[in-house]
Amino acid sequence: MNPAGPARIAAHRVAARIVENVGQIIRGKPDLIRFAVAALLAEGHVLIEDVPGLGKTSLARCLARSVGGSLSRIQFTPDLLPGDITGVSVYQPAKESFTFHRGAVFANVVVADEINRGTPKTQSALLEVMAEGRVTADGETHRVPRPFLVVATQNPIELAGTYRLPEAQLDRFLMRLSVGYPDAEDELRVVLADKAGASPEDLRPVVDVPTLTQAIAQVRDLRVDEAVADYAVRLAAATREHPDVRFGASVRGSIALVRAAQALAVLAGRGFVTPDDVKDVAGAVLAHRLVLSPEAELAMGGAMEVVRDVVSATVSPTSGAGR
Amino acid sequence: MTALRVGAVVLSGALGGLLFAPVFGLSTLLVPVLVPAAAVLVTTLCARRVAALTDWRPLLATAAGLLAVAETLLWPTTVAGLPTGRTAVALADGVTRSWWRTMESTWPARPDAGSVLFVPLLVLVCGVLGSELLLRLRSPLSAVVPALGLAVFSQLHVASTGVVAVAAGLGLALLAGVVLATDRAGPRWPFGVVALAAAVITGLVLPTAAPRVALRTEPRPPAGSPLTSPLDQLAGRLLDPNVEVLRVTGAVIPDRWPLLVLDEFDGVNWAPGGRFRRLGRLLPPGPQVTVATRRRTAAIRWAGDGDRWLPSQTWPATVHGAEPRVDPVHGTLLRTGPAASGPLDYRLDWWEPSVDGADLARATVDPGAPGGLPAGGPAPSGYPELAGAGVGGRRPSFAAALNLESYLRTNYRLAGPGDALPTGHGWPQLTAFLRETRRGTSEQFAAAYVVLARLAGIPARLAVGYRTPPRPDPDGWYTVRNRDALAWPEVAVAGVGWVPLDPTAATAMSPAEGGLAEATAQARDVAPETAAPQPVPAANSTAPTRPVVPWWAVLLAVPTAAVMWPVAVPAAWTIRAWRRRRRPPPAAVSGAWVEARDRLSAYGVAVSSAMTPRDLAESARPVVGDAIAADIRRLGGVVDRALWSGAVPDAGEVRLAWGVVRAVRRGVPWRRRFRATLGLRGLRGTR
Repeated sequence: MNPAGPARIAAHRVAARIVENVGQIIRGKPDLIRFAVAALLAEGHVLIEDVPGLGKTSLARCLARSVGGSLSRIQFTPDLLPGDITGVSVYQPAKESFTFHRGAVFANVVVADEINRGTPKTQSALLEVMAEGRVTADGETHRVPRPFLVVATQNPIELAGTYRLPEAQLDRFLMRLSVGYPDAEDELRVVLADKAGASPEDLRPVVDVPTLTQAIAQVRDLRVDEAVADYAVRLAAATREHPDVRFGASVRGSIALVRAAQALAVLAGRGFVTPDDVKDVAGAVLAHRLVLSPEAELAMGGAMEVVRDVVSATVSPTSGAGR
Repeated sequence: MTALRVGAVVLSGALGGLLFAPVFGLSTLLVPVLVPAAAVLVTTLCARRVAALTDWRPLLATAAGLLAVAETLLWPTTVAGLPTGRTAVALADGVTRSWWRTMESTWPARPDAGSVLFVPLLVLVCGVLGSELLLRLRSPLSAVVPALGLAVFSQLHVASTGVVAVAAGLGLALLAGVVLATDRAGPRWPFGVVALAAAVITGLVLPTAAPRVALRTEPRPPAGSPLTSPLDQLAGRLLDPNVEVLRVTGAVIPDRWPLLVLDEFDGVNWAPGGRFRRLGRLLPPGPQVTVATRRRTAAIRWAGDGDRWLPSQTWPATVHGAEPRVDPVHGTLLRTGPAASGPLDYRLDWWEPSVDGADLARATVDPGAPGGLPAGGPAPSGYPELAGAGVGGRRPSFAAALNLESYLRTNYRLAGPGDALPTGHGWPQLTAFLRETRRGTSEQFAAAYVVLARLAGIPARLAVGYRTPPRPDPDGWYTVRNRDALAWPEVAVAGVGWVPLDPTAATAMSPAEGGLAEATAQARDVAPETAAPQPVPAANSTAPTRPVVPWWAVLLAVPTAAVMWPVAVPAAWTIRAWRRRRRPPPAAVSGAWVEARDRLSAYGVAVSSAMTPRDLAESARPVVGDAIAADIRRLGGVVDRALWSGAVPDAGEVRLAWGVVRAVRRGVPWRRRFRATLGLRGLRGTR
């Protein structure tokens, strides 16, 4: 018997198409692409963090281009205003009333480039829309189109002219991904592709919005055994008790862990979530939610090392079975 | 050869009977057990030689055994050794009642025939039954079953431990080995060796704590006519002071003679909380007593008219001249049977804790003493404050108990012979005594002391009886009269047990040579302690110790374990794997995963409880190679489907999972497999 039903297989095909599409531009980073697509299927926002020039923005643009919905790109700068993102109400003399002009956030995929260059006030403009999928301006609520995905990039090493994202903002990102340097062979392929003029804008959408919406719904319905969900909760809880952590993962973190694991299971063509799915996404989902102690902040491993510790010390549900 | 085998069968039954030694004492059992066993053996062997007697053999052996029982245990019922009707009645009584008498008695029980009889009768049955099973059915294994059953039955009374258990196990295993090894169907030495080794190892490793299974249950309260509390009679006795109730003599006479100990108080009445047993041969002091004890003896003439409570001591050892029931917790003796007229003469032996007065003054109390701090109803208002004042704000200790005694002695007055004697010991009477009249008999003093002490956290109980008069009569006997009737409190001191106090100072003139009375008097003279209370040093001679395993048993255990190891450890692996595989499909698949993990752990693969099969495959790759690691990943897929998909795996998946286990087992060099099979690493499971 195949535990993955037809609906799961459809979602898997959607995911596979996006992975393949993005893989035409982003070379040698299959896991990164897999996680990014998983975030898309889990309808979660992604923060891509790495040093300049490794393809953060390219990945964001590839993801956005692969979905046939509306796309907008916001280049965060210190002089960007919240209204530029959410929209503003403009007085219409003829009508003697205010009309709301939608901001860049009203799109299916929003690429927030270098998000940490925006002021905290501007960054905070994303809080409501990322959590609730709506914008409230002048007492009126405006819904953003579904699915709604923010793909943000930031450069973690540059301090001048940047503003660290507040914890509340970080918690709203489903995953924080790091691109990393490619190996020599992959880097050569990237260079050759660039020489040939390949860019994310060349990608064609491979999934339309209704199909993606359906795939997202299928991911939400994926079977999660109670023991696996309990494992995810135990992992999140363990981060709160780690000696290097001042504030551990939130409840939103536990929810995100299960949702990301569901998406990863669909990518693997499975109709159920396994503890390995939870383990795989634990670092990407939990690490950016942790507030470390000052000593741990200075240490080499950082939050990702804490999550590794927690994963290697938490009893897996598979371990307890069969005694 | 047959004689040897029959002898082994009968002797194993006798050995089972001798395992009742903790109940009766070994010396009590030797003759009554061995003589009937020998009679059965001789009769069986003789009857076997005469073909005409073959059918009558069990009957003849039984008759010979019964005759031997009569000669050894029931001699008084015979006429010059010949059984009579009384012998038959006694035997019938032994069948129906002797076991119950033993169960009702303290242990070791008295060595009277009425109690012991069931043991030789059981040995007789085992001998006859075992011999017939051996000779008629030619089933050596069945022949030793009755003796093993008797051994188990004896262990349900008092489980043997340590050296005794090892010796008994070895003896039974040896005798069983003789029966089995000389079987005509071929010797079965392996069985004998295994049984022998198992007995030795079991005996060595068995804990000495109380057994989990025991036939003994709590006895019922004494039946019969309602019993009057001596506490209720105390004032009445003081009104008729010259009536003689008791005469005692002995080398060392204690200062008082308790009749009854009361520790349950419901606000109105004081009641004894104990249960009574027949007093056996020798009652040891309670487990609370860890200091050295001395055995004292006194001859007592009890003139209590129809009174069923007999003068006793806190830790009675034995009584000669009477067969009372005893409450081992409180030391109370209860006369059973119809009320006798005239005095009762008996000799009482008891245990006297030996403690230094200075140690006692510093001693802590024993909050775990039975009945010392019962959960009762709330005390009336003002009592806790009074208790605090009585102990002078001290923490619970013997010094605090003496403080309370001194407080009552100083602030309250004992009602004299010319006064109206107050009666009663409930809350109203105690409130009147403590707050209004400040005058009472020892009844109010003792009751008030106990409730105040308990409120102050000092475990205490109330005793009632008689004090010993200051001087003996010219004949050396002390005559105790009604005027000596007294109630007093006792407090539980850690290591010493119950120590009597006297808030009325009525026993100040009583003899107090040695023992607790003298130590308490010394403790009263010691300056008030400011240091923290200390436990009384335990005596080496009486402290409970674990039986020491002799060197030869240890030496024997080592080669035995070496012999057993190559068989037992692989067998444990096999049995566990078999049990895991036999489970229903989902559990069988997860069982395969756990089995594979345990095997890999035994092969030296780093394993942790946080690992999934995928992690394990990665961890095992350097040890078992890529192919086996791939197999483990495949097993992980099956396990994940079985555990998390909600679908029930089919038989094919179970086979696949266990196929991977086989591959894992065979995937390492045979030397490593051999070492792993003999090791315990994987058997302990993963933490």
